Amino acid sequence: MNPRITFVVLATGLLFSSWGLVTRVGAFRLPGNQQGYSPVQPIAYSHRLHAGELQIDCQYCHFNASSSRHAGIPPASICMNCHRLVTTSFGVFRAEDELAIQENRKPRTLISAEIRKIYDALGLDDERKPAATKQPAPIAWTRVHRLPAFVYFDHRAHVNAGVVCQTCHGPVETMERMRQFSDLTMGWCVNCHREVNRSGVEGKRVYASVDCSTCHF
Amino acid sequence: MMTYWKSIEEFEGGPEIRARAETEFEDTPLRITAGPDRRGFLKAAGFAFAGATLSGCRQAPVEKAIPLLRQVEGMSPGRPYYYASTCSGCPAGCGLLTKTRDGRPIKLEGNAEHPLSRGGLCAVGQASILSLYDGLRLKQPLRHGKEARWDEVDAEIAAQFDRIRKEKRAVRILTATIASPTLNAVVRGFVQSFPNAQHIVCDPQSASPILESHQLTHGARILPRYRFDKAEVIVSFDADFLGTWISPVEFTQSYSAGRQPDAKPPRMSHHTQLESRMSVTGSKADRRYRLSPGEVPQVIEQLALRVARRTGAAADWAKDAPVALATKELDELAERLVSARGRSLVVCGLADTGAQVLCNYLNHLLGNYGTTLDVEAPSRQRQGDDRAVARLLEEIAGGKVAALVVPGVNPLADLPGGDVLRRVPLLVSLSPRLDETASVATYVCPDSDPLESWGDTEAVSGIASLMQPAVQTLAQTRPAVETLARWAGGQSAAYDLVRTTWKREIHPRSTGKEDFEAFWRKSLHDGVAAVRPQNTAVKPFDVKAVRPLTPTPAQDLTLVLYSKPSIPDGRHAYNPWLQELPDPVSKCTWDNYACLAPSTAERLKVKEGDVVRLEAGGHSLELPALLQPGQHEKVIAVALGYGRKESARFAGVGPGWLFRRPSLGEKGLVGGNASSFLRFEDGALRYWRSDLRLTDTGKLHPLALTQNHHTLSVPKHLDPGGGSRPIVQETRLVELSNVRRETAADKSEEDLWPRDHPFTGHRWALAVDLSACTGCSACVVACQVENNIPVVGKDEVIRNREMHWLRLDRYYSGDPTAPQVAHQPMMCQQCEHASCETVCPVLATVHSEEGLNQQIYNRCVGTRYCANNCAFKARRFNWFEYAREDRLANLVLNPDVTVRSRGVMEKCTFCVQRIQDAKIEAKRERRALRDGEIQTACQQSCPAQAIVFGDWNDPNSRLSKWMNSLRRYRVLEEINVRPSVGYLKVVRQGETNEGGSRHG
Repeated sequence: MNPRITFVVLATGLLFSSWGLVTRVGAFRLPGNQQGYSPVQPIAYSHRLHAGELQIDCQYCHFNASSSRHAGIPPASICMNCHRLVTTSFGVFRAEDELAIQENRKPRTLISAEIRKIYDALGLDDERKPAATKQPAPIAWTRVHRLPAFVYFDHRAHVNAGVVCQTCHGPVETMERMRQFSDLTMGWCVNCHREVNRSGVEGKRVYASVDCSTCHF
Repeated sequence: MMTYWKSIEEFEGGPEIRARAETEFEDTPLRITAGPDRRGFLKAAGFAFAGATLSGCRQAPVEKAIPLLRQVEGMSPGRPYYYASTCSGCPAGCGLLTKTRDGRPIKLEGNAEHPLSRGGLCAVGQASILSLYDGLRLKQPLRHGKEARWDEVDAEIAAQFDRIRKEKRAVRILTATIASPTLNAVVRGFVQSFPNAQHIVCDPQSASPILESHQLTHGARILPRYRFDKAEVIVSFDADFLGTWISPVEFTQSYSAGRQPDAKPPRMSHHTQLESRMSVTGSKADRRYRLSPGEVPQVIEQLALRVARRTGAAADWAKDAPVALATKELDELAERLVSARGRSLVVCGLADTGAQVLCNYLNHLLGNYGTTLDVEAPSRQRQGDDRAVARLLEEIAGGKVAALVVPGVNPLADLPGGDVLRRVPLLVSLSPRLDETASVATYVCPDSDPLESWGDTEAVSGIASLMQPAVQTLAQTRPAVETLARWAGGQSAAYDLVRTTWKREIHPRSTGKEDFEAFWRKSLHDGVAAVRPQNTAVKPFDVKAVRPLTPTPAQDLTLVLYSKPSIPDGRHAYNPWLQELPDPVSKCTWDNYACLAPSTAERLKVKEGDVVRLEAGGHSLELPALLQPGQHEKVIAVALGYGRKESARFAGVGPGWLFRRPSLGEKGLVGGNASSFLRFEDGALRYWRSDLRLTDTGKLHPLALTQNHHTLSVPKHLDPGGGSRPIVQETRLVELSNVRRETAADKSEEDLWPRDHPFTGHRWALAVDLSACTGCSACVVACQVENNIPVVGKDEVIRNREMHWLRLDRYYSGDPTAPQVAHQPMMCQQCEHASCETVCPVLATVHSEEGLNQQIYNRCVGTRYCANNCAFKARRFNWFEYAREDRLANLVLNPDVTVRSRGVMEKCTFCVQRIQDAKIEAKRERRALRDGEIQTACQQSCPAQAIVFGDWNDPNSRLSKWMNSLRRYRVLEEINVRPSVGYLKVVRQGETNEGGSRHG
């Protein structure tokens, strides 16, 4: 190749790539590190309320965690176990109750805008009965915790070894909106695997392999 | 030591093959030979473009997570579920377990509880899952080739049928063998709804003469169930029962059960194969004779005479005559058969009723009916009636058929003279794809995929199995049973039809006392139910049927049309996995070809890859020639099932780069269709003809042969003292007690390697019994499905770039005209002292504490040092981005295995995803891993059960027992890489080719 052409190619490359780097420097992130990611969800679901205040066990909703590799996002039918009856927040409910007593009438069923989204997804009307006009459609949540396609993390192994959810997911019971707490990088995984081999999990001796094929296959 | 070779070139040791052994890959046209320094340029470019790489480091794209709306009880996302079903790749009806993940079927496994297949599944069965995700499957009915709606099509067809009923015109329904009681009942109902209708059965691989011969000798048109496990002496005339004949998985399983050299005392049937071409079955035979099809009937006759004399039966119905087999050999064969009366089996795959009658007579004389041949509970795996098919074609040609319905067959491409179908006024095809028949049909009413529909089968009388859907229909297709039931006036869904049949026909024959509901639930769970066989009106053997045969004059060249184990008939031509699967014997992919014996090729001055024109009976076909050792000198063999319309889709298969050669032939199809050479003679579809003329066209057509790829031999100049290496080892049955395992490396104390792998927990290992392995290649496809291995196309195969992690090396030994064959599955040997690991500069391949040689795709930078240093050539490199953006086809991908990208090395991992899953599951249930709980995909699929995986550290595991076998050796033990794969030596019967006692 002509050295002059080579020079032009390389110089253009340098210019082009520096420009790309400069313009995107604000969004710079190490590959695979999404720590702190906290997207807006289609329903303003609060882990603080459910897991913190109401102390619902994590595995009540994420019931797959002990039996499958995915903890799973609960199906809308799980929400309905409570929200069949709980249609709005306690404060609104009590205010309406008191108002009804004052006005000497039956309390109205008040449905909060966020909870109505569950009913809409299931195709239910305000009486929580199937509505002929509504088409059921699943809720498309925005995924927060995401590992690259070449990593196989298994919730089963960790939950059954006694690792508490907060070890990786952080203080979820304080989060109004779900946030990625750990950086979920390989170093972070491997350090924990090494650490528990020395200290155990909750006082129990465990063996966490650090073989590559534990996670990569 | 015995010399093994993989091809004629290697045997002769020409310069090309030496060069091939030295350089693993074909030279690339892109190699820069002159000009500026390549390294320098790359370094500068690396700096210049580094910024572009860094600017890509941003937040990952947003991904949605969509859960179920309503929880289904007992279903967890991410957990696999298995549903028992039945394979529909051929009428053999092997048991299946459909593995589904998150609502989609991703793998078919053999059902170990099925009494016929016992866990085995052939390559075709493994590959048939791809049919479900085939984007070119018809999505709705067609009227004159244009898309239409079901209600319109139904109404129009019903109206036409009504008119035909009124006018009492002829309706015919042409199907393949129907072993399904439900479909049979529905077809019966359909036929009865017309005043003049008939059901005709047509098999692309017909066994009509066997059925007809039993009509003559036993008074019933039946196909016996052959019991190879009970036979101590097996004589097979041109029947490729381990490859394609009737029920290969069942036969491989039972053949293997009859050959257990490690049992005490050793149990080893003696198998003689008399055949025209080298088949999978012939490659396993203890003795093999080459006979052209024209010679077989006379040999059977002379054998029958000799057996008759020895058993004291009348022997005056024919005269002694010299035949293609020497008198001494015939006497020996007769003696061997007679010495195993009642424990022998003679089978004949020749489409000749006279020969079949004599074959029955032989079995009758030997007292095999009732022991090795079951006529009380006969097989239903072939029911084709060639006479009726020939009559149908005449009727159509005479314009007597008003309507023809063809579910599940493609007569236009499979039958000689099938072209007359174009004359049928109302031709209705139920094909799921636009095959040759469907494309000329008036209406196409696509059948649903077997994984989408209910069904059943009774492949052998008394063994009824169910098929259940694993997914909803993906397009607007309708199961054939529903379609036919509707046209006969019913409205039932397939589920109800199957249940009704089982209530009426199967449950009354059940041996238990449970009510129908319990019986149905149990059958559905197990996939199979053993019931009382139906009564067959079998009469005692009628000796009057035995007649002498008229000798056929010797011919110069005979054309033999056969079926390949990978593409047994044209129905599977759409399947890229099967197209790229190397033939077990010829090792050819992506083509059919004219097989010639090397001596014939020399006589006709034809070389491999030369395109030859075959002419016979006014038909001609141009095909590349392939030299096949062990083939009869006067036989040219051509595989059927090629040159199909559905193979046109492979025009774009593989990476599209500048120097790509096409995967398709001149006509835009894979191979050529040879079915026009078939003909009806004596009421049977003849698979051979003697009026062949062969001429060299002077054209060339490169064949994608894998036989010289990944060769383990060493060039002479690199290993002056060596020569051939003991890659395949064999022993003789009589020597078995004297075999001592060469344990040099097992116990060697001096070792330059550090002892840094203590293997304190599990130590995974694999053992392969070379004596049991038939080379059928089911494991290759099983591995491909399980591990998301891409299809690369013909050109890449020619360049040694096929991606199969598991390959089957086929070795010949001895005389090239009549060689002995050994099959050796070769995969990553997971060496303890792995040579690949020491050369990887980025530690992308390292040893695990459980003995696995791990390959970490995300760490690999693609130096290919490891592949260069692998003694077993077991590593595969992603030369291109093979993954495709095909949403439907990608649904078959195993979500537990990474899809590798370009520039990454990959190889067998002992199905580490299965190991991890089983380990975690055992921990969850707080128990130890059980031996046999983890099965690799290849082991699961193997019909011969030739592969065992397990923990070498567990002295009681099945694997350890195999590893302690006296037959066990490890390949290339002398280089001290210490493989974790053990091979059990091939066991030969008394005779070996040493001393030249082979016959042929």
